[in-house]
Amino acid sequence: MMMNATCKDRERIFEDGTPGEWAALEAHSANCPVCAEELKAWKSLSVAAQEMRDYTDSPSFWPRIERALAEEAVRKTQRAERRSWLSFLPSVPLSWQTAVAGAFVLVLTISAGWIYVHWPNRPEQHDKSLLKSAALENVEHAEAVYVQAIDRLAEETRPQLENPATPLLANYHEKLVVLDSAIADLRAQAGLNPSNAQLRHQLLAVYQEKQQTLEEVLEARKQ
Amino acid sequence: MGTMGLALPWKARIASVPRQRETRVEPSEHYAGGPKPTIVDAITEDAALAAGCRAGNLQTYERLYSIHGARMRNLARNLLGNLGDAEDAVQETFLKVQRSIASFRGQSSFVTWTYRILINTCYDARRSRLRKKEVANDDSGETPRLEPRAPGAHPSLRMALERALATLTKHQRDVFLLYEVEGFRHAEIAGMLEITETASKNTLFQAKKNLRLILEPPRSSAAEAR
Repeated sequence: MMMNATCKDRERIFEDGTPGEWAALEAHSANCPVCAEELKAWKSLSVAAQEMRDYTDSPSFWPRIERALAEEAVRKTQRAERRSWLSFLPSVPLSWQTAVAGAFVLVLTISAGWIYVHWPNRPEQHDKSLLKSAALENVEHAEAVYVQAIDRLAEETRPQLENPATPLLANYHEKLVVLDSAIADLRAQAGLNPSNAQLRHQLLAVYQEKQQTLEEVLEARKQ
Repeated sequence: MGTMGLALPWKARIASVPRQRETRVEPSEHYAGGPKPTIVDAITEDAALAAGCRAGNLQTYERLYSIHGARMRNLARNLLGNLGDAEDAVQETFLKVQRSIASFRGQSSFVTWTYRILINTCYDARRSRLRKKEVANDDSGETPRLEPRAPGAHPSLRMALERALATLTKHQRDVFLLYEVEGFRHAEIAGMLEITETASKNTLFQAKKNLRLILEPPRSSAAEAR
Protein backbone atom coordinates (compact mmCIF):
# COMPACT_ATOMS: atom_id res chain seq x y z
CA MET A 1 0.00 0.00 0.00
CA MET A 2 1.35 3.42 -1.00
CA MET A 3 2.22 5.80 1.84
CA ASN A 4 0.82 9.29 1.97
CA ALA A 5 2.95 12.40 2.54
CA THR A 6 1.95 16.00 3.15
CA CYS A 7 3.77 19.35 3.05
CA LYS A 8 4.36 19.00 6.80
CA ASP A 9 6.32 15.77 6.28
CA ARG A 10 8.68 17.31 3.72
CA GLU A 11 11.49 18.50 6.01
CA ARG A 12 11.49 15.31 8.05
CA ILE A 13 11.68 13.21 4.88
CA PHE A 14 14.54 15.40 3.60
CA GLU A 15 16.40 14.70 6.82
CA ASP A 16 15.74 11.02 7.37
CA GLY A 17 13.02 9.66 5.13
CA THR A 18 12.69 6.03 4.14
CA PRO A 19 12.51 5.10 0.44
CA GLY A 20 8.74 4.65 0.85
CA GLU A 21 8.39 8.12 2.32
CA TRP A 22 10.45 9.61 -0.48
CA ALA A 23 8.20 7.93 -3.01
CA ALA A 24 5.16 9.33 -1.19
CA LEU A 25 6.67 12.83 -1.23
CA GLU A 26 7.38 12.52 -4.97
CA ALA A 27 3.76 11.51 -5.49
CA HIS A 28 2.54 14.40 -3.37
CA SER A 29 4.76 16.83 -5.30
CA ALA A 30 2.98 15.97 -8.52
CA ASN A 31 -0.02 17.90 -7.17
CA CYS A 32 1.77 20.43 -4.90
CA PRO A 33 3.85 23.10 -6.69
CA VAL A 34 5.51 24.27 -3.45
CA CYS A 35 6.72 20.79 -2.53
CA ALA A 36 7.70 20.15 -6.14
CA GLU A 37 9.88 23.27 -6.11
CA GLU A 38 11.42 22.37 -2.75
CA LEU A 39 12.09 18.80 -3.83
CA LYS A 40 13.73 19.93 -7.04
CA ALA A 41 15.95 22.46 -5.26
CA TRP A 42 16.88 19.86 -2.67
CA LYS A 43 17.90 17.34 -5.30
CA SER A 44 19.69 19.98 -7.33
CA LEU A 45 22.27 20.29 -4.55
CA SER A 46 23.09 16.62 -4.97
CA VAL A 47 23.46 17.12 -8.69
CA ALA A 48 25.61 20.20 -8.15
CA ALA A 49 27.83 18.19 -5.81
CA GLN A 50 28.78 15.94 -8.75
CA GLU A 51 30.64 18.92 -10.16
CA MET A 52 33.07 18.66 -7.28
CA ARG A 53 34.10 15.20 -8.34
CA ASP A 54 37.36 15.04 -10.23
CA TYR A 55 38.58 11.49 -10.47
CA THR A 56 41.10 12.07 -13.26
CA ASP A 57 44.15 9.89 -12.83
CA SER A 58 47.60 11.28 -12.13
CA PRO A 59 50.14 8.83 -13.61
CA SER A 60 53.00 10.00 -11.42
CA PHE A 61 51.08 9.83 -8.16
CA TRP A 62 51.08 6.08 -7.46
CA PRO A 63 54.85 5.69 -8.23
CA ARG A 64 55.48 8.45 -5.71
CA ILE A 65 53.40 6.72 -3.03
CA GLU A 66 54.95 3.35 -3.88
CA ARG A 67 58.45 4.76 -3.45
CA ALA A 68 57.51 6.27 -0.09
CA LEU A 69 55.98 2.95 1.03
CA ALA A 70 59.06 1.00 -0.04
CA GLU A 71 61.35 3.38 1.85
CA GLU A 72 59.14 3.15 4.91
CA ALA A 73 59.19 -0.66 4.68
CA VAL A 74 63.00 -0.64 4.70
CA ARG A 75 63.04 1.67 7.72
CA LYS A 76 60.50 -0.56 9.45
CA THR A 77 62.69 -3.62 8.86
CA GLN A 78 65.74 -1.83 10.24
CA ARG A 79 63.80 -0.77 13.31
CA ALA A 80 62.59 -4.33 13.80
CA GLU A 81 66.17 -5.63 13.56
CA ARG A 82 67.31 -3.16 16.16
CA ARG A 83 64.48 -4.16 18.43
CA SER A 84 65.28 -7.86 18.01
CA TRP A 85 68.60 -7.29 19.79
CA LEU A 86 66.63 -6.48 22.90
CA SER A 87 63.86 -8.99 22.32
CA PHE A 88 65.13 -11.27 25.11
CA LEU A 89 64.58 -8.54 27.69
CA PRO A 90 60.86 -9.05 28.34
CA SER A 91 61.50 -12.68 29.36
CA VAL A 92 64.06 -11.63 32.00
CA PRO A 93 62.54 -10.85 35.44
CA LEU A 94 62.50 -7.20 36.42
CA SER A 95 64.74 -7.80 39.45
CA TRP A 96 67.40 -9.30 37.21
CA GLN A 97 67.09 -6.45 34.75
CA THR A 98 67.61 -4.02 37.64
CA ALA A 99 70.58 -5.99 38.94
CA VAL A 100 72.18 -6.08 35.48
CA ALA A 101 71.61 -2.37 35.04
CA GLY A 102 73.14 -1.69 38.49
CA ALA A 103 76.15 -3.85 37.74
CA PHE A 104 76.58 -2.08 34.45
CA VAL A 105 76.53 1.31 36.15
CA LEU A 106 79.04 0.05 38.75
CA VAL A 107 81.42 -1.26 36.09
CA LEU A 108 81.07 1.99 34.20
CA THR A 109 81.89 4.04 37.31
CA ILE A 110 84.92 1.92 38.21
CA SER A 111 86.18 2.05 34.63
CA ALA A 112 85.79 5.80 34.50
CA GLY A 113 87.62 6.15 37.82
CA TRP A 114 90.44 3.90 36.70
CA ILE A 115 90.81 5.75 33.43
CA TYR A 116 90.84 9.06 35.29
CA VAL A 117 93.56 7.92 37.66
CA HIS A 118 95.68 6.16 35.04
CA TRP A 119 95.19 8.46 32.14
CA PRO A 120 98.72 8.79 30.65
CA ASN A 121 98.40 12.32 29.37
CA ARG A 122 96.65 13.68 32.39
CA PRO A 123 98.38 16.96 33.34
CA GLU A 124 100.51 16.87 36.47
CA GLN A 125 99.31 18.46 39.64
CA HIS A 126 101.05 21.77 39.21
CA ASP A 127 100.03 23.02 42.62
CA LYS A 128 102.88 21.49 44.56
CA SER A 129 101.90 23.40 47.66
CA LEU A 130 99.38 20.63 48.29
CA LEU A 131 101.08 17.50 49.57
CA LYS A 132 99.77 14.03 48.76
CA SER A 133 98.97 11.81 51.71
CA ALA A 134 102.07 9.56 51.50
CA ALA A 135 104.44 12.52 51.34
CA LEU A 136 102.57 14.16 54.16
CA GLU A 137 103.08 11.14 56.37
CA ASN A 138 106.86 11.25 55.73
CA VAL A 139 107.02 14.97 56.46
CA GLU A 140 105.05 14.61 59.67
CA HIS A 141 107.22 11.70 60.80
CA ALA A 142 110.48 13.57 60.05
CA GLU A 143 109.11 16.68 61.72
CA ALA A 144 108.23 14.76 64.87
CA VAL A 145 111.75 13.31 65.10
CA TYR A 146 113.27 16.72 64.39
CA VAL A 147 111.08 18.42 67.02
CA GLN A 148 112.06 15.80 69.59
CA ALA A 149 115.74 16.43 68.85
CA ILE A 150 115.28 20.20 69.20
CA ASP A 151 113.30 19.68 72.43
CA ARG A 152 116.19 17.68 73.86
CA LEU A 153 118.51 20.51 72.84
CA ALA A 154 116.18 23.04 74.48
CA GLU A 155 116.17 20.91 77.64
CA GLU A 156 119.95 21.19 77.81
CA THR A 157 119.90 24.97 77.46
CA ARG A 158 116.98 25.55 79.83
CA PRO A 159 119.13 26.32 83.01
CA GLN A 160 121.08 29.09 81.27
CA LEU A 161 118.07 30.58 79.56
CA GLU A 162 115.82 30.64 82.64
CA ASN A 163 118.55 32.51 84.56
CA PRO A 164 120.59 34.28 81.90
CA ALA A 165 123.98 35.24 83.19
CA THR A 166 124.78 37.64 80.38
CA PRO A 167 122.76 40.08 78.22
CA LEU A 168 123.53 37.88 75.21
CA LEU A 169 121.82 34.88 76.82
CA ALA A 170 118.90 37.13 77.76
CA ASN A 171 118.58 38.09 74.09
CA TYR A 172 118.72 34.44 73.05
CA HIS A 173 115.99 33.70 75.56
CA GLU A 174 113.74 36.40 74.11
CA LYS A 175 114.46 35.23 70.59
CA LEU A 176 113.55 31.65 71.51
CA VAL A 177 110.30 32.83 73.13
CA VAL A 178 109.41 34.59 69.84
CA LEU A 179 110.41 31.51 67.81
CA ASP A 180 108.31 29.24 70.06
CA SER A 181 105.39 31.57 69.59
CA ALA A 182 105.85 31.47 65.78
CA ILE A 183 106.17 27.67 65.91
CA ALA A 184 102.91 27.44 67.88
CA ASP A 185 101.10 29.65 65.32
CA LEU A 186 102.43 27.72 62.33
CA ARG A 187 101.62 24.35 63.90
CA ALA A 188 98.07 25.52 64.53
CA GLN A 189 97.73 26.57 60.88
CA ALA A 190 99.33 23.33 59.67
CA GLY A 191 96.85 21.40 61.81
CA LEU A 192 94.01 23.04 59.94
CA ASN A 193 95.61 22.49 56.55
CA PRO A 194 98.06 19.59 56.84
CA SER A 195 98.55 19.26 53.06
CA ASN A 196 99.89 22.79 52.67
CA ALA A 197 103.58 22.37 51.93
CA GLN A 198 104.20 26.09 52.13
CA LEU A 199 103.28 26.09 55.82
CA ARG A 200 105.50 23.08 56.35
CA HIS A 201 108.45 24.93 54.78
CA GLN A 202 107.88 27.94 57.00
CA LEU A 203 107.65 25.72 60.06
CA LEU A 204 110.89 23.97 59.10
CA ALA A 205 112.62 27.32 58.66
CA VAL A 206 111.52 28.44 62.14
CA TYR A 207 112.63 25.11 63.64
CA GLN A 208 116.02 25.51 61.93
CA GLU A 209 116.28 29.01 63.33
CA LYS A 210 115.44 27.65 66.80
CA GLN A 211 118.00 24.86 66.38
CA GLN A 212 120.66 27.36 65.36
CA THR A 213 119.78 29.67 68.27
CA LEU A 214 119.97 26.78 70.74
CA GLU A 215 123.35 25.74 69.31
CA GLU A 216 124.54 29.31 69.75
CA VAL A 217 123.28 29.21 73.37
CA LEU A 218 125.32 26.03 73.92
CA GLU A 219 128.35 27.67 72.30
CA ALA A 220 127.93 30.71 74.59
CA ARG A 221 127.82 28.40 77.69
CA LYS A 222 131.13 26.74 76.70
CA GLN A 223 132.73 30.14 76.39
CA MET B 1 12.21 24.11 -17.89
CA GLY B 2 11.19 24.72 -14.31
CA THR B 3 13.20 26.92 -12.02
CA MET B 4 15.39 25.25 -9.47
CA GLY B 5 14.86 27.89 -6.82
CA LEU B 6 18.63 28.41 -6.50
CA ALA B 7 20.56 31.40 -7.78
CA LEU B 8 22.87 29.28 -9.86
CA PRO B 9 23.91 29.93 -13.43
CA TRP B 10 23.38 26.28 -14.30
CA LYS B 11 19.72 26.04 -13.44
CA ALA B 12 18.68 26.00 -17.04
CA ARG B 13 20.93 23.04 -17.77
CA ILE B 14 20.86 21.08 -14.58
CA ALA B 15 17.90 18.96 -15.57
CA SER B 16 19.92 17.45 -18.39
CA VAL B 17 22.50 16.09 -15.98
CA PRO B 18 21.64 12.46 -15.27
CA ARG B 19 20.94 11.55 -11.67
CA GLN B 20 23.57 8.86 -11.49
CA ARG B 21 23.18 8.42 -7.78
CA GLU B 22 19.44 8.74 -7.59
CA THR B 23 19.11 5.35 -5.93
CA ARG B 24 21.59 6.29 -3.19
CA VAL B 25 21.25 10.03 -2.84
CA GLU B 26 17.85 9.67 -1.36
CA PRO B 27 17.94 6.99 1.28
CA SER B 28 18.71 3.63 -0.18
CA GLU B 29 20.50 2.35 2.88
CA HIS B 30 17.55 0.40 4.12
CA TYR B 31 18.04 -2.95 2.51
CA ALA B 32 15.32 -5.48 2.79
CA GLY B 33 16.07 -9.18 3.02
CA GLY B 34 19.70 -9.06 4.12
CA PRO B 35 22.81 -7.70 2.48
CA LYS B 36 22.98 -7.36 -1.26
CA PRO B 37 25.62 -9.36 -3.12
CA THR B 38 27.61 -6.20 -3.81
CA ILE B 39 27.96 -5.57 -0.09
CA VAL B 40 29.19 -9.11 0.45
CA ASP B 41 31.75 -8.55 -2.27
CA ALA B 42 32.79 -5.29 -0.66
CA ILE B 43 33.24 -7.00 2.71
CA THR B 44 35.38 -9.72 1.12
CA GLU B 45 37.41 -7.12 -0.75
CA ASP B 46 37.82 -5.09 2.43
CA ALA B 47 39.10 -8.11 4.37
CA ALA B 48 41.49 -8.98 1.56
CA LEU B 49 42.85 -5.44 1.49
CA ALA B 50 43.34 -5.43 5.26
CA ALA B 51 45.12 -8.80 5.19
CA GLY B 52 47.37 -7.79 2.29
CA CYS B 53 48.32 -4.49 3.86
CA ARG B 54 49.00 -6.22 7.18
CA ALA B 55 51.34 -8.60 5.36
CA GLY B 56 53.15 -5.59 3.90
CA ASN B 57 52.25 -6.55 0.37
CA LEU B 58 52.89 -3.55 -1.89
CA GLN B 59 50.57 -4.94 -4.55
CA THR B 60 47.71 -4.73 -2.06
CA TYR B 61 48.53 -1.10 -1.43
CA GLU B 62 48.47 -0.59 -5.17
CA ARG B 63 45.07 -2.25 -5.28
CA LEU B 64 43.86 -0.01 -2.47
CA TYR B 65 45.11 2.93 -4.49
CA SER B 66 43.49 1.73 -7.71
CA ILE B 67 40.11 1.37 -5.96
CA HIS B 68 40.19 4.39 -3.67
CA GLY B 69 43.13 6.57 -4.70
CA ALA B 70 41.20 8.92 -6.97
CA ARG B 71 38.39 9.33 -4.45
CA MET B 72 40.88 9.88 -1.62
CA ARG B 73 42.67 12.50 -3.67
CA ASN B 74 39.41 14.23 -4.60
CA LEU B 75 38.21 14.24 -0.99
CA ALA B 76 41.53 15.62 0.23
CA ARG B 77 41.46 18.25 -2.48
CA ASN B 78 37.99 19.37 -1.48
CA LEU B 79 38.99 19.44 2.19
CA LEU B 80 42.29 21.23 1.66
CA GLY B 81 41.56 23.30 -1.42
CA ASN B 82 44.59 22.46 -3.54
CA LEU B 83 46.02 19.43 -5.26
CA GLY B 84 49.53 19.66 -3.85
CA ASP B 85 48.42 19.47 -0.24
CA ALA B 86 45.84 16.83 -1.18
CA GLU B 87 48.46 14.53 -2.71
CA ASP B 88 50.74 15.01 0.28
CA ALA B 89 47.85 14.07 2.58
CA VAL B 90 47.00 10.95 0.56
CA GLN B 91 50.64 9.83 0.54
CA GLU B 92 50.87 10.43 4.28
CA THR B 93 47.69 8.41 4.72
CA PHE B 94 49.18 5.42 2.91
CA LEU B 95 52.28 5.66 5.11
CA LYS B 96 50.16 5.88 8.24
CA VAL B 97 48.19 2.83 7.16
CA GLN B 98 51.46 0.96 6.65
CA ARG B 99 52.81 2.05 10.02
CA SER B 100 49.71 1.33 12.05
CA ILE B 101 48.06 -1.57 10.26
CA ALA B 102 49.07 -3.81 13.18
CA SER B 103 46.77 -1.76 15.41
CA PHE B 104 43.77 -2.18 13.09
CA ARG B 105 41.38 -4.43 15.00
CA GLY B 106 38.58 -4.59 12.43
CA GLN B 107 36.09 -2.66 14.56
CA SER B 108 35.17 -0.73 11.42
CA SER B 109 35.82 -1.68 7.83
CA PHE B 110 39.39 -1.29 6.65
CA VAL B 111 38.38 1.25 4.02
CA THR B 112 36.44 3.32 6.58
CA TRP B 113 39.51 3.20 8.83
CA THR B 114 41.69 4.35 5.94
CA TYR B 115 39.38 7.26 5.16
CA ARG B 116 39.30 8.19 8.84
CA ILE B 117 43.10 8.42 8.73
CA LEU B 118 42.87 10.52 5.57
CA ILE B 119 40.35 12.93 7.09
CA ASN B 120 42.44 13.29 10.27
CA THR B 121 45.54 13.85 8.15
CA CYS B 122 43.68 16.58 6.27
CA TYR B 123 42.59 18.16 9.57
CA ASP B 124 46.21 18.10 10.74
CA ALA B 125 47.40 19.65 7.48
CA ARG B 126 44.71 22.32 7.74
CA ARG B 127 45.69 23.10 11.34
CA SER B 128 49.35 23.22 10.41
CA ARG B 129 48.56 25.59 7.53
CA LEU B 130 46.50 27.75 9.85
CA ARG B 131 49.37 27.96 12.34
CA LYS B 132 51.72 29.02 9.55
CA LYS B 133 49.22 31.65 8.47
CA GLU B 134 48.99 32.92 12.04
CA VAL B 135 52.76 33.18 12.18
CA ALA B 136 52.67 35.13 8.92
CA ASN B 137 49.91 37.37 10.36
CA ASP B 138 47.53 36.23 7.67
CA ASP B 139 44.09 36.06 9.26
CA SER B 140 42.26 34.65 6.28
CA GLY B 141 40.80 31.90 8.49
CA GLU B 142 40.53 28.15 8.31
CA THR B 143 38.46 27.96 5.13
CA PRO B 144 40.43 26.23 2.41
CA ARG B 145 41.57 28.48 -0.39
CA LEU B 146 40.40 26.80 -3.56
CA GLU B 147 42.73 26.67 -6.48
CA PRO B 148 41.45 26.50 -10.06
CA ARG B 149 40.75 23.04 -11.45
CA ALA B 150 40.35 21.62 -14.88
CA PRO B 151 37.08 22.92 -16.27
CA GLY B 152 34.14 20.61 -15.68
CA ALA B 153 30.70 20.49 -17.24
CA HIS B 154 29.50 23.39 -15.08
CA PRO B 155 32.53 25.33 -13.82
CA SER B 156 30.46 28.25 -12.54
CA LEU B 157 28.18 25.84 -10.66
CA ARG B 158 31.16 24.20 -9.01
CA MET B 159 32.67 27.53 -8.06
CA ALA B 160 29.39 28.76 -6.59
CA LEU B 161 29.06 25.58 -4.57
CA GLU B 162 32.67 25.72 -3.40
CA ARG B 163 32.17 29.27 -2.20
CA ALA B 164 28.97 28.31 -0.43
CA LEU B 165 30.62 25.25 1.15
CA ALA B 166 33.36 27.47 2.52
CA THR B 167 30.79 29.25 4.67
CA LEU B 168 29.53 26.03 6.31
CA THR B 169 30.84 24.62 9.55
CA LYS B 170 33.65 22.10 9.26
CA HIS B 171 31.40 19.18 10.13
CA GLN B 172 28.67 20.24 7.72
CA ARG B 173 31.21 20.63 4.92
CA ASP B 174 32.81 17.28 5.66
CA VAL B 175 29.52 15.39 5.76
CA PHE B 176 28.28 17.07 2.58
CA LEU B 177 31.50 16.23 0.74
CA LEU B 178 31.52 12.63 1.96
CA TYR B 179 27.86 11.98 1.22
CA GLU B 180 27.02 14.07 -1.81
CA VAL B 181 30.38 14.27 -3.56
CA GLU B 182 32.09 11.02 -2.65
CA GLY B 183 28.93 8.95 -2.32
CA PHE B 184 29.53 7.36 1.07
CA ARG B 185 26.61 6.05 3.09
CA HIS B 186 25.73 7.58 6.43
CA ALA B 187 26.94 4.46 8.24
CA GLU B 188 30.36 4.85 6.62
CA ILE B 189 30.49 8.58 7.31
CA ALA B 190 29.60 7.90 10.94
CA GLY B 191 32.60 5.57 11.15
CA MET B 192 34.92 8.03 9.46
CA LEU B 193 33.96 11.08 11.49
CA GLU B 194 33.32 9.11 14.69
CA ILE B 195 29.77 10.36 15.03
CA THR B 196 26.42 8.56 15.02
CA GLU B 197 24.52 7.82 11.86
CA THR B 198 21.71 10.09 13.06
CA ALA B 199 24.19 12.91 13.60
CA SER B 200 25.49 12.38 10.08
CA LYS B 201 21.97 12.59 8.63
CA ASN B 202 21.14 15.65 10.69
CA THR B 203 24.40 17.39 9.78
CA LEU B 204 23.78 16.73 6.09
CA PHE B 205 20.26 18.12 6.41
CA GLN B 206 21.56 21.29 8.10
CA ALA B 207 24.34 21.62 5.52
CA LYS B 208 21.90 21.41 2.62
CA LYS B 209 19.50 23.83 4.26
CA ASN B 210 22.31 26.33 4.75
CA LEU B 211 23.55 25.83 1.19
CA ARG B 212 20.06 26.51 -0.10
CA LEU B 213 19.88 29.72 1.90
CA ILE B 214 23.24 30.84 0.53
CA LEU B 215 22.56 29.85 -3.06
CA GLU B 216 18.88 30.87 -3.19
CA PRO B 217 18.32 34.20 -4.97
CA PRO B 218 16.68 37.05 -3.05
CA ARG B 219 12.90 36.64 -3.18
CA SER B 220 12.41 39.79 -5.29
CA SER B 221 14.85 38.76 -8.00
CA ALA B 222 13.43 35.26 -8.01
CA ALA B 223 9.99 36.69 -8.56
CA GLU B 224 11.33 38.87 -11.39
CA ALA B 225 12.91 35.83 -12.99
CA ARG B 226 9.52 34.20 -13.10
